Amino acid sequence: MADPRETRVLLEHAEDPALRTIDGYRGYGGYATLEKAYREMEQDEVLKELEDSGLRGRGGAGFSMGKKASFLPRGEMAKYLCCNADESEPGAFKDRELMQRNPHQLIEGIAIAALAADAGHAFIFIRGEYAEQADILDAAVAEAYEAGYLGKDILGCRRDLELVVHRGAGAYICGEETALLDALEGKRGNPRLKPPFPAVQGLYGGPTLINNVETLSNVPKIVANGAEWFKGFGTEQSPGTKVVSISGGVRRPGNYEVELGIPTRELIFGLAGGPEPGHEIKAFYPGGSSSPVLTPAELDLPYSFEAMGEAGSMLGSGSIIVADDRVSIPHMALRTARFYHHESCGKCAPCREGTNWTVKMLERVVRGEATPMDLDIISSVQQNIIGHCLCVLGDSMAMPVSAMVNKFRDEFERVIAEAGMPIAIVQGAPEALGAAT
Amino acid sequence: MSAKEVTIVVDGREVSAVEGEMLHDAARKGDVEIPVFCYEPKLGEPVGACRMCLVEIEGIPKLQTSCSTPVRDGMVVHTRTEQVKHAQNAVVEFLLVNHPLDCPVCDKGGECPLQDITMGWGPGKSRVIDEKRHFQKPIELSPLVAIDRERCILCYRCVRFSQEVSEDSQLQLLDRGDRTFVGTFDDRPYVAPFHGNITDICPVGALTSYTYRFRARPWDIEQAGSVCTLCPSQCNVSFTVRDEKVKRVITRDNHDVDDGWLCDRGRYGFEMFEAEERIAGPRLKGGAEVEWDEAIAAAAAGLRAAGGEVAAIVGDASNEEGYLVGRLLREGLGSNDVDSRQSRGFSRAAVVRLAQPDLTIKVREIDDADVILVAGTDPLHSSPILDLRVRKAIRRNGARLVVATERPTALDGGAEAIARYAPGGATHFLSELAAAVGGAENVASPLAESLRGAEKVVVIWGERIAREGDGAATALLDLADACGVAGAEGAGLLEVPDVTNARGLREAGCLPDAGPGLGAELAGGRSTEQIRAGLISGEIKSLLLFGADPLRDFPDTPAWEEALTAADHIVCFSMHENATTAKADVVFPLETHAEKDGTVTHPDGRLQRVRPSASRPGIVQSNIVILSLLAETLDLSTGIDSQPTAFAALTEAVPFYSSITEEKIGGQGIRWQETEAASTIPTPDGGALSSEPTTSATGEGLALGTYRDLWAGPITELNPPLQFLTPQQRLEISPADAARLDLKQGDVVRVGQNGSSVEAHVLIKERMSEGTVFLAEGVQGGNANALLNGGPVWVEIQKLSGVDA
Repeated sequence: MADPRETRVLLEHAEDPALRTIDGYRGYGGYATLEKAYREMEQDEVLKELEDSGLRGRGGAGFSMGKKASFLPRGEMAKYLCCNADESEPGAFKDRELMQRNPHQLIEGIAIAALAADAGHAFIFIRGEYAEQADILDAAVAEAYEAGYLGKDILGCRRDLELVVHRGAGAYICGEETALLDALEGKRGNPRLKPPFPAVQGLYGGPTLINNVETLSNVPKIVANGAEWFKGFGTEQSPGTKVVSISGGVRRPGNYEVELGIPTRELIFGLAGGPEPGHEIKAFYPGGSSSPVLTPAELDLPYSFEAMGEAGSMLGSGSIIVADDRVSIPHMALRTARFYHHESCGKCAPCREGTNWTVKMLERVVRGEATPMDLDIISSVQQNIIGHCLCVLGDSMAMPVSAMVNKFRDEFERVIAEAGMPIAIVQGAPEALGAAT
Repeated sequence: MSAKEVTIVVDGREVSAVEGEMLHDAARKGDVEIPVFCYEPKLGEPVGACRMCLVEIEGIPKLQTSCSTPVRDGMVVHTRTEQVKHAQNAVVEFLLVNHPLDCPVCDKGGECPLQDITMGWGPGKSRVIDEKRHFQKPIELSPLVAIDRERCILCYRCVRFSQEVSEDSQLQLLDRGDRTFVGTFDDRPYVAPFHGNITDICPVGALTSYTYRFRARPWDIEQAGSVCTLCPSQCNVSFTVRDEKVKRVITRDNHDVDDGWLCDRGRYGFEMFEAEERIAGPRLKGGAEVEWDEAIAAAAAGLRAAGGEVAAIVGDASNEEGYLVGRLLREGLGSNDVDSRQSRGFSRAAVVRLAQPDLTIKVREIDDADVILVAGTDPLHSSPILDLRVRKAIRRNGARLVVATERPTALDGGAEAIARYAPGGATHFLSELAAAVGGAENVASPLAESLRGAEKVVVIWGERIAREGDGAATALLDLADACGVAGAEGAGLLEVPDVTNARGLREAGCLPDAGPGLGAELAGGRSTEQIRAGLISGEIKSLLLFGADPLRDFPDTPAWEEALTAADHIVCFSMHENATTAKADVVFPLETHAEKDGTVTHPDGRLQRVRPSASRPGIVQSNIVILSLLAETLDLSTGIDSQPTAFAALTEAVPFYSSITEEKIGGQGIRWQETEAASTIPTPDGGALSSEPTTSATGEGLALGTYRDLWAGPITELNPPLQFLTPQQRLEISPADAARLDLKQGDVVRVGQNGSSVEAHVLIKERMSEGTVFLAEGVQGGNANALLNGGPVWVEIQKLSGVDA
């Protein structure tokens, strides 16, 4: 059952397994908004509702969804909508739950957003590892076609929408919107240069709207209840609710849907139960592994896009990873760097070489084969990466690593000095980390 | 499309630029160099991968890649601020994290962009003490190119070339992150006709040619600009010369000619300059090497003894050489029997019509064509660089392509309509096409649909169709008329001739019915086929061959054997020993295009200069000097004793060349159509061209078509590095015919016609017309020319052995 401290909008009725079927979904009023939008609303009305709601992208960048949709040029050319379901950021598992429990909410959102974008083809790009969720979506899409919510001449309104569920081949980079487009086109999944932005020239060269699963799942609610209703949740700059994935050193890890702007402490201590008894929080990533870590001093900040930004971090995809006092920060930095090194596509030099070099230096740190001067070099290399890459993947490593080295410099120096000292960490022993490549 | 001029400010300097051009290019106009690795406009759209060209643009918080930022009016750019320097230092340092600093043993050392940029824009020291990545190295990417993956900085250039310029798509980036490497599917060798270009564009020593590895250091060499004369494309090249010998051939960008690319024939063909078969001095029949005086005297005596019953055929020659041979024959020996075609060609009247300036396009106009018609030629084999040009027009500018040929072409894949006509059926098909464009419904209608109403129509046609006689010219001119190309901006014809300097030789007077400048009709001159007949019948006693090898390159080998055997006296200028030189009484050595000084004329009318850059072997002399000495010995005073005097005489004799000087030719050449004297080209006579009814003859068996393979001939046989490409004779046959004859891929067959035959391996090919088979010309052992006889040929096919036998 939902925790009473949650505000369930997207996860409403999520505990009912029947929600996964079209009948179950319709039983809770599902697809009524699609019918209303298709039968009664013009493109601009839908667009205006989305823009007015202030809904910000839930995939990481937090850009206004309605504004993004309004950037698409008008005209006869083929336009596309892509749902980014390549949820691969360490710490993020909210889209998985949204797709698994309520696939039709997403499909309805896609269909309505397609109306706003005037797109005739939509794709759900889902990470290959989400096989179960992809199967669920496939089944739901088939049901939606059957019911006439997708396909040709939807509800007799002379609008068509084809929706394809496309399984990714397992690369984090394909969650970057332009790499996603290349991968969808059958190419190597590498990010493209921007501009041109996908809204102007995206999939197959056509205007393309790309949104995250959670963002699109919000669409039916907004169109059904209106922008004002939506703005009733959250803060002025971060309206709405947010499904937050909390993991790491907490007693009740999981997804919690809350109004944006609640105190971060409420999320970590209230909902997720705080650290295990006898332990304290040392640091936490507020928005997935690519967000600069924050310290316990920042636990009372409101959990909103703006507050996290002001604190020098970001809300990102809304995924909190908690490190308690057993976690070695240098090892956590290495583990983070290794992830981005492994996932770097290799297209641009700062990311390709910067992630590789950082990993090598951090490996020396944890082996005790470094000097404090290397910490300066590590910091400097992160500054050399930030802002110089083709896409944000390089920054995604550089920002948290940089934050860790700067905020926990003493610990890095201690690890160098005391290398060989056994250090327990939450997930796996340091030896195992050292062995993994 | 008028480009808007804008003004931007780069590092405090005002620079005028064209709106939309990339900031990197605009800055260069203001003498501001922004370093780049991945950016190369020749490769198409920028990728922004290397991040070397980051600059600060006022009003934009983040640094931007100047290679991918189009300029806007009033843009204020800084390339030397602390922020930019920080980024440049960072990127150089990153690129060197995995780059082995093995410059002292690297072939690129001294001419390496990575070295230069590191010195110019790098931090000057390295902080990297960690292990670099390792690969097995160097390994064969192809038999001609070595790859050192450790040196690779993953700039994407080679991969983009393969995927977006030559479109062979063989090169791929494999794996990802810093494990990424350049390779091919399943490690197969990268064999493609343009692949050597990747060694030119590689900004580090990762891709090097086996022909140049460890042969020289940049301080040992000189670069000498010239023109490649191995095919009619006449690409601009630069010879890398060490100790007066060519060690390498690289591109010399000329957007009007080659767009900065070079085929592997032009790039690796130079090693045949030093082949064993190279003729290093004059000799008499039987192999006795003699002094020049003696050889010239012997040649003159033989030519004179024929008493005017003498003929000349010119092949691989400069304008000046062709001009001199023409005078030698006409003025020195009193014969008009001069030709420069391998077979039947157009009459003077047709040549004059097709030479009209308003009908010819410039090569660069292909880029902006609306529709390109490729008729009667496969550019890949006959003028390779045009193949890339057509691909570029389609890929980047949305040109549409239609193909009308006997044989499937390399460009078929990009064509929106394709027609296959029977061998010898070009005249008929082009006439139909002209009619169809005009509205008639016929066999050519699908192609006509693409051409009708299009504005910039470019027709790339093969000289091969001239073998059908003037009817083909009439059809071509009718088609040009129907498409309204005359005088239309960006529309016109471009010929793909059989030999490199075909246009120049025709204009310099190597035609039986026209002297220099295509002037007044000359009577009584014999054409190539008539010369052959004259030799057989005894009406012609002596033959001068200049850079022509009839036994290899001309159709009807048995007849040529007979003709050369019947000749009393043969003087042969040749670069290498071959079957034809074996029959000659006096053999003179020819200079290669690295040794020669002279001009050539591109099929689009551009005069370019071939410049000497390497020493001649043995006692080889300038061909011009030898020809003028020969003329003198024949009591012909030409006033020519050197290239400058020959060029002066040529430009005087060809009125429409008269305002061209060596200075105007410069490094990029000049089209005569764009000079003041262009109007002196003779105007076409009013009457219709003589035309015979098009034959629709049929015969027994399968119709034989032939083509000149890119790799057939001395280019592969005499070039050790290219030997692996030597083609074997293959019988190309449609799947239906193969099934009917019970032939399988790889079967050995004998292809026979009227007593002659060649052996070939069966190659079953799609997109072939049923009832037609193809063989390659010029292939050693089984030359298809042996089966040709000047008309349509039908062949019998006999299976000799099956693959599974």
